[in-house]
Amino acid sequence: MDKMQLLLTLSAALFAAGLLGVIVRRNVLVMLMCMELMLNGVNLSLVSFAQQNGAVAGAVLVFLIFVVAAAEIAIAIPIVLLLVRAKRSLDLEAYADLKG
Amino acid sequence: MIESALLYLFAASALAGAVLMLVVRHPMRVALALIATMLSLAGVYAVLGVHVIAVFQVLIYVGAVMVFMVYVIMLLEMRDRSLARRYSALLVPGIAGFALLVGTLGLGLWRDAADAPGAGDSAAYGVQSFSIAFLNDYWLHFELVSVLLVAAVVAAIAVLKVESASRG
Amino acid sequence: MNHPLALIVLLPLAGFLLNGVLATRLGGDLLGRKLVTAIGCGMPIASFVIAVRCFLDLQSGGGAALVEQAYTWADVAGRTFDIAFYFDRLAAVMVLIVTGVGSLIHVYSVGYMKDDASYARYFAYLNVFLFFMLLLVLGQSLLVLFVGWEGVGLASYLLIGFWFEDADKARAGKKAFITNRVGDAGFLLGMFLLYQALGTLDMDRINAAFANGPVPAVSASLVGILLFIGATGKSAQIPLHVWLPDAMAGPTPVSALIHAATMVTAGVYMTARMSGIYLNAPEASQVIAVVGAATAFFAATIAVVQTDIKKVLAYSTISQLGLMFVAIGVGAYGVAIFHVYTHAFFKACLFLGAGSVIHALGGAQDIAKMGGLARKIPITFATFAVATAAIAGIPPLAGFFSKDEILWFALSSTRGGSPWLFAVAALTSLLTAFYMFRLLWLTFFGAPRMDAATAHHVHESPATMTGVLLVLAVLSAVGGFVALPHYLEPLLPLPAVQAPLESYEHAVVYGSVALALAGLLGAAYFFGGGGRRAEGMRRRFAGLHRLLSGKYFVDEAYEGFLGRPLHWVSDRVFLGLGDRILLDGSLNGLAALARRTAGALSRAQTGNLQLYALLLLAGVVASLAWSWRHG
Repeated sequence: MDKMQLLLTLSAALFAAGLLGVIVRRNVLVMLMCMELMLNGVNLSLVSFAQQNGAVAGAVLVFLIFVVAAAEIAIAIPIVLLLVRAKRSLDLEAYADLKG
Repeated sequence: MIESALLYLFAASALAGAVLMLVVRHPMRVALALIATMLSLAGVYAVLGVHVIAVFQVLIYVGAVMVFMVYVIMLLEMRDRSLARRYSALLVPGIAGFALLVGTLGLGLWRDAADAPGAGDSAAYGVQSFSIAFLNDYWLHFELVSVLLVAAVVAAIAVLKVESASRG
Repeated sequence: MNHPLALIVLLPLAGFLLNGVLATRLGGDLLGRKLVTAIGCGMPIASFVIAVRCFLDLQSGGGAALVEQAYTWADVAGRTFDIAFYFDRLAAVMVLIVTGVGSLIHVYSVGYMKDDASYARYFAYLNVFLFFMLLLVLGQSLLVLFVGWEGVGLASYLLIGFWFEDADKARAGKKAFITNRVGDAGFLLGMFLLYQALGTLDMDRINAAFANGPVPAVSASLVGILLFIGATGKSAQIPLHVWLPDAMAGPTPVSALIHAATMVTAGVYMTARMSGIYLNAPEASQVIAVVGAATAFFAATIAVVQTDIKKVLAYSTISQLGLMFVAIGVGAYGVAIFHVYTHAFFKACLFLGAGSVIHALGGAQDIAKMGGLARKIPITFATFAVATAAIAGIPPLAGFFSKDEILWFALSSTRGGSPWLFAVAALTSLLTAFYMFRLLWLTFFGAPRMDAATAHHVHESPATMTGVLLVLAVLSAVGGFVALPHYLEPLLPLPAVQAPLESYEHAVVYGSVALALAGLLGAAYFFGGGGRRAEGMRRRFAGLHRLLSGKYFVDEAYEGFLGRPLHWVSDRVFLGLGDRILLDGSLNGLAALARRTAGALSRAQTGNLQLYALLLLAGVVASLAWSWRHG
């Protein structure tokens, strides 16, 4: 297969794997990391299209995504910390308070 | 020739890392697998010729995000239930959904294989041209991104305050 | 004066608006009693003056009708419905009666309603009644007549239930209005048929269409009967007569004006006006004559045993209206109008006299507790006696002339006269004389049967009341000398007389006088000298007496056959089934459905984040698949 197909397939696979991880893993930190994996997969597809296109706007956009990912993790971790302290558990099943 | 071999190599290792992430038990090992994936992706970017992006991938993702992640894992070393039982109740439906998703995406990708017009000009992704473009044409985005980071810092501090307020 | 007819109609309306708005609590009680009286009585008197003027114009014009186009009410695809006024001889007679007697009764009310709190409201309602009645008699088309017809029904309801705080009185008003409406259904059907066949509702043009014989497009008999059903309701004939006795709950001047002189004669006026149809409808005319005769006899028998002074007069009115319809039924339309005219005078005099008696006794209406009033309230007695003689048919008073004509044509008219009709009418006349003189005797003669306190209180009524009584008594006496049937002949031709009976005319005259005197003597015999003989008769015919006192139990029959089933249907079917089960049930069912659906849907909110992610995945897959299918 050619380069583009390989890269896009890889990107799809990473994204799907990340999503699967979010659904099946119980540990909340692992779930966070799987979300990072999803982001990476999408980033890969963006980079491959940008490289194909050749415009520098693609690179700028990728950079912005990096920054956003960093900001996101900066907020997500404290939230997880609060959750863990409140529930005394890293298990996602303990966080089902918004039931109904 | 060697390019495509490297590409395949890095792709395979990224995939392997992703798979490991799903099956490994301990969160620390999951983090290591993710780091491996990210580094492989950086390799892919480098092979593609977008060096700036590759470097940023390592610096920001591995260097900042994953370090933070590892730090938190070490902080929250808790031996609780999630260590013994890795998977949630939705394992089977999850796998089914995953298969469907992969199938759909693959179908879409492989059905009408878009002819790739080949690699682009790698000079555009040199640091120099990147910086000039970033700070000339996309300066607004640059500033907004700074604002975003400030907001993130403020939010983190606010969370901290809430936490300390509720505790004392 | 440019539009005299419109002015005649609108002046009472102005009175109603002024008194009704400014002088009541609605407008802030702005006008003082004197001003209310001036407006309330002034408007009808002004209308009367203008009516006289129009009458003189009519006479000088040789009887040619005055037509006034007032307003185009509606224009529907080229067909117009106008409000137009039509003043010919018949309308002239009716307008003069309505405004003349109406003005007199307004003046009487000044004294009678002096102590009432709702003085202004009373005059406002009385004026609005006049407005609608004048619309009725001056209207050129059946549509305007019908507006007036409904309007007087409304005014009647308002005035019968004038003292509405009393639930019984309010109910009487309701009964009058609803019974009227039943008749109006027939009226409307008749109007629809006429419009469909002839394309017009103008009464003169309808009569012209029927002038040359029956119109093939519509059955004259059917229309005639339908219109008569309307008249039955308004003029209290069987079977819709039940409202009139109950209507006595209203103030006595109201009973005089509406339920004696004017509104109830609207039915007679309408059928006389539609003479063109009835001349071509022998079956309908026969029905009218039979119903009229039956009603007259039926009501007269009830009146013989009534003990409330106003109820006697109410049944007397129903009976006299029956006689008017007998005249209509045999084609003597002008004679019926003549009787309307004389009846207005003596019946109004009788009612107002009764009002004077009630006023003198401080509110009592039971004649069993009256007696010996002749010397204490002489003017009332004298006028009442004159009016009683008039209604009994003693010559040369007014009633004699009109009743005699009715009896004559009931016997001899070629358009339906028969000996049976004459017999019933004659018997009714005998009973009329009898019960009227009974009323006179029991009220005014003999020893006083009231308690001492009331007896002390008896006094003659004020001048506003006695003056009117005197005027009406004089009119009852001399009114008959105006040869109204002859005057109306160009419009309402008198029927031809059956040839073999031509010579009996004088015999009938003497016979009717004899009947009147027989009634007088009979009453004197039974009720004079303490009424012991009457008491004896009552005991002997107790069953008959009970039947008559119970008014043949018609009201009870209506309640049983109509009232209760309707009530049952309303309660069980419409309320229980329709409202509670269907409407409420469906609404509540919808609410319950919403609640259950929401409950079922809320089971998706488990609080489990991973489930949400899974559902997200499913959604993404679905949308991808869909877009790639149709992309």
